[in-house]
Amino acid sequence: MSEEQTHSIDISAMQRSQQALNIEDETVCLSVKDLHLYYGEKEALKGVDMVIPEKKVTAFIGPSGCGKSTLLRCFNRMNDLVDSCRITGEINLHDSNIYAKGTDVAELRRRVGMVFQKPNPFPKSIYENVAYGLRIQGINKKRVIDETVEWALRSAALWDEVKDRLHESALGMSGGQQQRLVIARTVAVKPEVLLLDEPASALDPISTLKIEELIHELKNDFTIAIVTHNMQQAARVSDYTAFMYMGDLIEFGDTNTLFTNPSKQQTEDYITGRYG
Amino acid sequence: MKELTTDHISQQFNQELEMLRQHFLTMGGVVETQVENAVQALLEAQGELAEEVRERDASVNQLDGLIDEECTRILAKRQPAASDLRMILSISKAVSELERIGDEAKKIASLSLTLMGEGETHRGYVEINRIGQMVSKMINQSLDAYARLDVDLAIKVANKDRKVDREYETALRSLVTYMMEDPRSISNIINVIWVLRSLERIGDHARHTCQHLIYMIKGVDVRHVKAKDLKSELEDAE
Repeated sequence: MSEEQTHSIDISAMQRSQQALNIEDETVCLSVKDLHLYYGEKEALKGVDMVIPEKKVTAFIGPSGCGKSTLLRCFNRMNDLVDSCRITGEINLHDSNIYAKGTDVAELRRRVGMVFQKPNPFPKSIYENVAYGLRIQGINKKRVIDETVEWALRSAALWDEVKDRLHESALGMSGGQQQRLVIARTVAVKPEVLLLDEPASALDPISTLKIEELIHELKNDFTIAIVTHNMQQAARVSDYTAFMYMGDLIEFGDTNTLFTNPSKQQTEDYITGRYG
Repeated sequence: MKELTTDHISQQFNQELEMLRQHFLTMGGVVETQVENAVQALLEAQGELAEEVRERDASVNQLDGLIDEECTRILAKRQPAASDLRMILSISKAVSELERIGDEAKKIASLSLTLMGEGETHRGYVEINRIGQMVSKMINQSLDAYARLDVDLAIKVANKDRKVDREYETALRSLVTYMMEDPRSISNIINVIWVLRSLERIGDHARHTCQHLIYMIKGVDVRHVKAKDLKSELEDAE
């Protein structure tokens, strides 16, 4: 009997550990409703409906010009800066429409931070780069800033590498370090959402893996949306993946399913490199 | 090659590989018990235990599917390379071997029920006991080799299969003699031979499992190398 007990194993527990995620079970952070976006006459997004789940990583993949970066930029109204751009539809951050009249765009961009393809540190010291957002918010207490800078650099897995040279110029860091510094600068103001637009495409493979590991860590605290040209990167880092093509959202689902058994032929063709 | 499942920059990847290894070893443990119980049920005429083995084969099959799915997912999501890739490939193959060992255990359990129904003569049981112990030990040691990534042990286990084959041949010859002496015992003895045949197959599967392990660690395909030449083949490859 004792022998039997040692080998009675809980298969259902093992199965649970690998069950596919279900979007229905997630808390919604951002929801997009019938979003159309026009650059002049050209319709760049043709009615996108989707939700970005909270504290999960959502990746956007698709060929160049499919609208994935455009959609990402809608989440913190970066497209407002483009003259000919016109938007209809809704994007709700939790329950408020970010395109409603009277939205404080600066506050929105604090809540929804963004990191771009090329690291863009300010020509200041490492410390000042991270403290910048706090100072703009009017926080002046040195102790608070010191603590936040350390926390942000630790969150970005950079603290150990830079703690002895916080007051040296940020421009002397490697590309990978600069990108993590930019992420630290973004998280320092405690946003709710992090938008990453090809955060690793200018980096070497090892720095890329470090950024990916960082993304995995950061999702404990933040909701993350990432645009990437690298499908494998999407597969590695994300919980949910959206495949876009010519301004349409073709397929959206949990990453495991999308990469092992996509439901649309177009998705299959794209991720297997059979693109016509 | 000391530790396969650590040291990746991606902690999640480490976890996935470790989980895969754990699940594989768990399945191995289940299969090992299945074989032991099937043989015990036969030798001690324990009908209930035989039924249990037959039922539990469903879990073995479930584990097989589960681990295969894990491998598929890791391949799709992580694009493993070099030793990681070999680990996934060899576990995926070794799992099939374990599943087949499970099937053989189920066959033995079914045959033991038939033999119990026929009223036992106990002919060939000494051989079943001996070969059963040998192959159980082979399974146990091959899992050990997987747990410790021990190539030398894998070679040793693979070599043992020859001994199992020889024992099987000997047992067969003596049972043929029995059948010639007493044709009434033929139907009974044929069932005993099926059991021995299953045990001999289990030995083969254990050997294959070890060959997959050698591929995983050394990157050398030794599936079609004779067991006695394994060592020199590996030395040449280095």
